[in-house]
Amino acid sequence: MSYDRPHRGGGGNRRRNNRDDYDDRRRDVYESPAEKLKTAIIKLGEVDALEELPRLEKQIRETTPLVISNLSEAFRIAVTEQPFKIPYYAALLRRLHDPAEEASTVDGPSLGKQILEDFWKGFQAYLDKLAWRETRSCIHFFAHLTVAKLITTESMFALLQSFTAVLEEFGVSHGRAKKAAVCAAEGLMIGGPILKPSSGEHVQEIISAIQAYNDTVTSPKWLIGPLLKMYSDEVSSSTADELLDTVLQALRTLNESDFAETASSFSQPYASHADPDLTEFTPFELPSVLVPPEVIELDGLSTDSGEDAQVKKEEWPEYFFRLFDNDITPDPKTPAGYAVHTGILDILDIFEVNRKECARLLLEYPKWTIPGTFKPKPGGTTVPEPVAGKDWQLESTIIENVLGAYFVLPEASHKSIYYIGVITELCKLSPSTVGPAVGKSIRKLYGTLGEGLDVEVARRFAEWFAVHMSNFGFQWVWKEWIPDLSLAVQHPKRAFMRRALEFEIRLSYHDRILKTLPPEMQAPEGNTIGEQAPGPDFEYDDPAKPHHDSAQGVLNLFRGRAKAEDVISHLETLKATLETSDDGGLVNADVLIRSIAIQSLLHIGSRSFSHLLNAIERYLPLLRSIASGGASSLGGGGNAEAKADILTASAAFWKHNRHMVAIVFDKLMQYQIVDPTDVVAWTFINRAEIRELSEATGPLSLSAFEWDLLKGALDKANGRVMIARRKVVALRKEDDDTRARDKASGGADGNAMDVDAEVKPDEAPAVDSPALTTALKAFASLTREQKGALSRTLDGFVSCLAPGASDSNPNPHSRVVISEEGWNDRAGWAKDQWNAWETWGWYRQFCRAYAPYLRNYSTTLWTVSFAKFEGSTDPAADLLKKTWNIATGQE
Amino acid sequence: MASNLEFLLGPKLPPAETSGFTVRSMAHVVTPLDQPSNYKDSQLRSLDRHTQNDLLAKSTTLYIGNLSFYTTEEQIYELFTKCASPEDGGGIKRIIMGLDRNTRTPCGFCFVEYYTHAEALASMRYVSGTKLDERIIRCDLDMGYKEGRQFGRGKSGGQVRDEHRQDYDPGRGGWGAQAQRLEIERRREVEERYADAQDGPGAVAGGGGDWKEADTSANESRLKRGRSPEDEGDTRLGQRSRLDEDGDAERM
Repeated sequence: MSYDRPHRGGGGNRRRNNRDDYDDRRRDVYESPAEKLKTAIIKLGEVDALEELPRLEKQIRETTPLVISNLSEAFRIAVTEQPFKIPYYAALLRRLHDPAEEASTVDGPSLGKQILEDFWKGFQAYLDKLAWRETRSCIHFFAHLTVAKLITTESMFALLQSFTAVLEEFGVSHGRAKKAAVCAAEGLMIGGPILKPSSGEHVQEIISAIQAYNDTVTSPKWLIGPLLKMYSDEVSSSTADELLDTVLQALRTLNESDFAETASSFSQPYASHADPDLTEFTPFELPSVLVPPEVIELDGLSTDSGEDAQVKKEEWPEYFFRLFDNDITPDPKTPAGYAVHTGILDILDIFEVNRKECARLLLEYPKWTIPGTFKPKPGGTTVPEPVAGKDWQLESTIIENVLGAYFVLPEASHKSIYYIGVITELCKLSPSTVGPAVGKSIRKLYGTLGEGLDVEVARRFAEWFAVHMSNFGFQWVWKEWIPDLSLAVQHPKRAFMRRALEFEIRLSYHDRILKTLPPEMQAPEGNTIGEQAPGPDFEYDDPAKPHHDSAQGVLNLFRGRAKAEDVISHLETLKATLETSDDGGLVNADVLIRSIAIQSLLHIGSRSFSHLLNAIERYLPLLRSIASGGASSLGGGGNAEAKADILTASAAFWKHNRHMVAIVFDKLMQYQIVDPTDVVAWTFINRAEIRELSEATGPLSLSAFEWDLLKGALDKANGRVMIARRKVVALRKEDDDTRARDKASGGADGNAMDVDAEVKPDEAPAVDSPALTTALKAFASLTREQKGALSRTLDGFVSCLAPGASDSNPNPHSRVVISEEGWNDRAGWAKDQWNAWETWGWYRQFCRAYAPYLRNYSTTLWTVSFAKFEGSTDPAADLLKKTWNIATGQE
Repeated sequence: MASNLEFLLGPKLPPAETSGFTVRSMAHVVTPLDQPSNYKDSQLRSLDRHTQNDLLAKSTTLYIGNLSFYTTEEQIYELFTKCASPEDGGGIKRIIMGLDRNTRTPCGFCFVEYYTHAEALASMRYVSGTKLDERIIRCDLDMGYKEGRQFGRGKSGGQVRDEHRQDYDPGRGGWGAQAQRLEIERRREVEERYADAQDGPGAVAGGGGDWKEADTSANESRLKRGRSPEDEGDTRLGQRSRLDEDGDAERM
């Protein structure tokens, strides 16, 4: 009768009380001898890999019966899921290539070679399904085996060349090219010491192929650098490194010294082993492969105006933010630095399924690196000689790389909360060493605010900060930022403080967070945190306010759970009264009625999220009636206006609580009271009416809060198309299956009728099932809505950033902040300049993050929003178009 | 043998377009955190383990435990939104706060329901075991909210675990002696918040279902026939039946 499960082995009715740190997910399973051997291989190096190698070799050789496929599977799992151990698996396989001591009479290939041959089949399978991560790990393994002379250099070259061949494919996607280039480059980095002596020419060909490809991807880099100057095409390379740039630079450095640095960058535990006796041993010849083409899933769905509705997540170059100097954390442009950088990122990616294990493995990472790579742990027993140019700080290196992956634009590979969670676990495992690294990273990042840190990176920074602090007692030394209170109120540093505190409050509560601040920041003039908890504000609460009595009447109906239709007729009566009252001519009765109704409804739903849902659900007919303009005499004509009024009333009610505004808007969209396009339009236009809500009041501009509203609306529109697409695909398959079944059962009939007939009956146009017809209709409506929402957003940005002379409330600074002189004057920028700059930032994020959707509609959207700039020399128009063109792949 | 085969062939990957997630079989080296626990709802004893597993494999609902009695739905919403995938048709559908049967005050657990299964799994991986309101919370895949489950099942009305708890826990009603000012203020709000909580069918909102094509027939007929007085009634009737439909869809 409870959530508590019986105590295991405790017997009877005893219940477990302290269940929360109890993890019983691991279930004991019986392990067969084959399983045991597999586990032993996978667990190699729990204590000391080098010492364990001979023992493990012996255990393998002594197992009977020895099943090769079981062994090669163990190697495949080990290599692809623990790439940091690959050099040791190469060493193990090297040992298994030696003839067994006792049974040297047995002819045929060595155990090691049999395993390698079978391992190859697994690699081929990974490649066939384009499992890039696994493919890449296998290439590392093969490269080490080539250095250990178990694989021929010719066949290794051929393997790497089949990956560089991808780079020359016509119209290759960046994602595919990037992965292929990395495979080839890393194989060469590891195998270089033996590959170069065999053919310097091939080495050069591989490097040149990657270089040639990388030279073609310059313009996208401008759009995704984490630290930017709007006026310049360059991305500052001192603060961020692009993946392929680092790959190439590390590779070139290695090549210049004929790969002498490979041995100090990648472990080679097999190096001490004598070379195989080539009189008796034939190295393995890797069979030739072809990287299969990408499978493009064509569901043939297009929008009703014929655009392709496929969403191809475009893959961008990857910039990794650098926080520390090269003597603290490795520079990924150097061979040893690249090896560490990619080694950490691999762990972060692979162990996404278990962030706790991920954190443990990250802290254990030095164990797999060449001694001296990281500073020794304080109090460690053996202190290795520091290696010149290395001796890095482990924790700073880990945090820099985790944050680097988290800040990748336009979006990280995993959800924000994953990276945040890994850092939390790292801090829990080793608070005294990771804590300071986190603190330093925060200060470093904070220092780049106002120096061009991308707005989306700044938003993620605030999110991380708040969630991190919520896990560690909200202990941050805020007083060190007190001097920054003298900066302009919209300066990115001050915006960051406000945003981080707002996020903290969402996770906690106002008084708790207020307590953590020094008096200067608590003070209202500090403009950092609200004085009051962010509660609702029912406009008609005060009896002295106009329409208090009318609102009380409506409120009482809601409180008494009156029927929706009774409320509707009450509102109509009320409206008539208002119109005929003394001040009837002064107010727009429709607007007022909507405001009273919506605010009163939200008032009864203000106690909690569930109360809100209950209130909305109980009064859906009322809400629909208001949204359709039904409560007014205008009939159905006032839809857009009525929906904007609903949003305005909601935002006014929650003007002190942006979180609730976003929640209410989301559910109003979910219940189809308003559409995403309404929210987009409202965000650009009406939002400015509520002063308290927005940081970006004054001239038309957007701050992070407005961006969140836009994103909420766009994601809703896109998500609905996604659901509708899935539904159509599923129903179509169902239809096809039904047809196939009918055909099969009616087949005998059909054949008997007329085999020679020119038109077979089953080739007649297929009739869709009613369910499919409905689904297709929904899909058409939703793609229309999607296009509308995207178009409205683009249009909104264009009017914010390149306002025409006739536009209302233009920001006069939108053109200044993107010029070099303007940017260099930023010390003197006030609120409006920073607002304009931030709006540009959100425009960039809009273009790059929604590029996969925008591409489908790029022609129409261009015409709608940019045609008017034909022949214009407006710098704002130029930057708008340039950003758009890069995002949609036209530049 | 089955797992061997799966390893060789690889897990069935969902088409890249339809899912933001890449499913990976990674159980060899570490145990993924998104496995359901062994909890078996005592009120659903009739369901065999197999059926339960099937339900959990599609579940969009999480049970959240070890909450402070003072934690609000909005705090929960904020944290769990971080696992939502709205661009994939997801989001937080609803939150059902666990209440003491007698006092109608939060008693330290809740259900979070998403629109998609992947989001529930993401919460298991990323949020379970982290802090909310300065307590380490625990998530478990749940078979889905059923009427009445929002109430504690302990003798005193709260959760059973609090019947047996012997430690002092300020966040779960153990605040008496060393009451803090903040806690008292929060307590006052919390005691009032759910005083109106109902039980029985329809007491808990659904959160909004899938997008539906608007039924334009009522509007159209209304437009066509102009301003006839009966129209208002028609429209309302039409709308009410739509509401009922929504309610039923959620209730099943």
